[in-house]
Amino acid sequence: MTDKDTGTGLLEAAPSPSQPPLRAGRRFDVKNLGEVLALIGLIAAFAALNPATFLSPENLRTILDHASLPLIIGVGATLVILTGSIDLSVEGVMGAAGMTFVLLTANSRGSADFGPWAIVAGLAVGVGLGLLSGLVHTRLKVPSFIVTLGVWFVGLGIATVLFGDQSIPFLPDGGIKAWPSTLTFGLPNSFLLAAAFVLAGMFVARFTRLGRFAYAIGDSEEISRGNGIPVLRYKLYVFIVAGGCSAAAGVLAALKLGAGSATVGVGTLFLTIAAVVIGGTSLGGGKGGILRTAIGVLMLTVLNNGLILSGVSPNIQSAVSGTVLIAAVLVATWPHRSRLRIVK
Amino acid sequence: MTNASLAPRTGVETPALRLTNISKSFGSTHAVKNVSLKIPRHEVVGLIGENGAGKSTLLKILTGLYQPDSGTIETDGRPVKFRKPQDAVAAGIGVVHQEQSLLSNLSVAENIAMNALSSKDAATSYGFYRWKRLNQEAAAILARVGSTIDPRTKVSDLSFVDRQMVEIARALRVDETIHAAPLVILDEPTSVLERNETAILEREIRSLRDIGSVLFVSHRLDEVLRICDRVVVMRHGEVVADVRREEVTEEELFRLMIGQESRARVRKGGSAAGAVAAVEAKGLGRKGQFKDVSFAVPAGRSLAIVGAIGSGRESVCRALFGAEAFDAGTLEVAGRPVQGWSMRRAVRHGLAYIPSERKVEGMVGGLSAAENLTLVHPREAAKGPILRRKARMKAAEDWFERLDVRPRDPRLPLGRFSGGNQQKVVMAKWLRAEELSVLILDHPLRGLDPGASQTVNDQIRAAQDDGAAVILLPDTLEEALEMADEIIVMRDGEITARFDLSVDSPTSLDLLEKMV
Repeated sequence: MTDKDTGTGLLEAAPSPSQPPLRAGRRFDVKNLGEVLALIGLIAAFAALNPATFLSPENLRTILDHASLPLIIGVGATLVILTGSIDLSVEGVMGAAGMTFVLLTANSRGSADFGPWAIVAGLAVGVGLGLLSGLVHTRLKVPSFIVTLGVWFVGLGIATVLFGDQSIPFLPDGGIKAWPSTLTFGLPNSFLLAAAFVLAGMFVARFTRLGRFAYAIGDSEEISRGNGIPVLRYKLYVFIVAGGCSAAAGVLAALKLGAGSATVGVGTLFLTIAAVVIGGTSLGGGKGGILRTAIGVLMLTVLNNGLILSGVSPNIQSAVSGTVLIAAVLVATWPHRSRLRIVK
Repeated sequence: MTNASLAPRTGVETPALRLTNISKSFGSTHAVKNVSLKIPRHEVVGLIGENGAGKSTLLKILTGLYQPDSGTIETDGRPVKFRKPQDAVAAGIGVVHQEQSLLSNLSVAENIAMNALSSKDAATSYGFYRWKRLNQEAAAILARVGSTIDPRTKVSDLSFVDRQMVEIARALRVDETIHAAPLVILDEPTSVLERNETAILEREIRSLRDIGSVLFVSHRLDEVLRICDRVVVMRHGEVVADVRREEVTEEELFRLMIGQESRARVRKGGSAAGAVAAVEAKGLGRKGQFKDVSFAVPAGRSLAIVGAIGSGRESVCRALFGAEAFDAGTLEVAGRPVQGWSMRRAVRHGLAYIPSERKVEGMVGGLSAAENLTLVHPREAAKGPILRRKARMKAAEDWFERLDVRPRDPRLPLGRFSGGNQQKVVMAKWLRAEELSVLILDHPLRGLDPGASQTVNDQIRAAQDDGAAVILLPDTLEEALEMADEIIVMRDGEITARFDLSVDSPTSLDLLEKMV
């Protein structure tokens, strides 16, 4: 409604009741290729700077492995952001789910070994925390920003209690600990798992009520409600999915670390939210997509990896990442900034 | 309701919808009082009334959002109760809302099917979309209203009239589910449309008559008389007239609606022009928008700029107010050329701009009406940075009285007022400024009922009499002819004609000729 200058024509021009048919399949195109070009540009730049190392198979595998956690979390985070909410609880949920998993599988403390059920338990913790966030947000009308900020620390608290004051619970060498870095078809399992999440997420976003309603809710909750969409219920679902994604990432992170740690997720929140935004998903909701987030994740991962290879001091890397985030948003929103619009 | 298709078909004599003695009150206010009306099949019934006459409440009852305190609703001769919006849909009542109710980031097909998608329906199975089926269904419904919009298009890519088509298609979808003639309710569908788009819509509405019946809510009397077979007039929550189109004139309808005589429409003679132009544009241009635009508006005179979409007139107005830059020509305010023009400077020079997108640009809906009133010139109601609450309330109460803003409580958030009353407050915000020298109005009457329009027009004239120069972008040519001392016509960013109304008396056809 607000994106067009309506004017009020008074002329009786030849009526044109409909627009010419639009090109087919427009639901599926990544509208502007800017993000993809930026990714290619980054890769080209770092390949030129480090011809020997950057494009080596080992390094590419490292990049994909590093991308796996934010990719998995990004699926849930994108869905939440599409509805216009935000989920900050990522790191807490990862910690709680990761610790739960480690303590319920074979570990150096020998607390218990439930085999594959340990993974289920870890995911259940994440789903439970997502349910908690969603219920408090939708039923008690607390802004998602605050609820999930709280749940972040609830999750960290659970993880810390589980960790207790005993020795660090290590996973035994070999076995499942090696799974993430094992190669299948030349690619690390961690990345393949993440790719499966992304594909599933894209499917959800395009072909299911959950995904389409997330877009609808992000466009306008009021209109969605008027159209009979059970807004609160679908927001709750989205938080549950996000909790499940964070938990899956937590379990994977624990496997990669090979030990239980409450702080297994440190740093992933910034990376994920940044990737969602850089990918072009609007924080206001309703616009964007999971493929975009995946591209954003790859951009940031390539950037971090490339900076290390190029010998940039780790001390200034976070500053570089932050600058890139702001610059990317600036570039993405430049064409849309209109006069008289105010950004909060 | 779901068995409607199995029920015996009643004859044409049974109205599609009949209301008997419907009443609804909120606290001590009777929003709707003993309303009885019927909508026969294959008839277009118009419903008119001022803001607050009870139209909206009645519509909400018809669509299941409100339950009436008393009275009965019958569809196809059978009594029904609408407890929730889905019940009304199930009874074959589809609504095209006044505020666009489409989800703009979803596809046309999704929007058309949304009511079904959000419940159990063949278009989804176990939460999965059947895109192909959705698109086919949508294309079929769109074809019925004669539209060729691709159902896969995103709604945000559509023009306003196409969006209305989608809304109508969605309203029509109800009969797909019940297989009976639908009743489509259109709630002021033309308020956002261009004139030529309105013509298309009118054609559509007339063709809807063949497949069902229509309740057409509007406050444009000429339109109602053109489109409808019968007109129902509401005032103060009651039906005051129910007449056939042939039996009534626009003047009579206006009087029925307002309950008072319509005031003289022609402005008698222009006010004396000031010596110096309050604002003068000399060869103003902005690349791609307008070029070589020159005019001068002396204090106490009014200029209307008319033109079609793309004429660039909105852009000119925004440039005058410093909201958009111009890259050629000069702008003089009070006889002095301006440098580094900006909105802030414009306000300081006594320019006022009332934008057409009231909700987006003209008001802060979350703040109280009183705060909105004092937003532009806060100094009078403040001592340094500290706001003086009492002075503000005093000022607000005076203006509420003067402009007849209802409800009479300036402490309410502005967003809670009706459109007409919001516009009054937005206007008052600027009018109260003592230094007001130029008043720029971008479609000030859009979406207002006749009563509110008159108040707004009266205020424009009052400002003019107080010495303000007025620049008006009118909704209609009639508005221009009624309000302006001078009219310029723009086409494709250039001025194509000028009429000084104290010398010429152009007709709307003369103006139209220069616009296309």
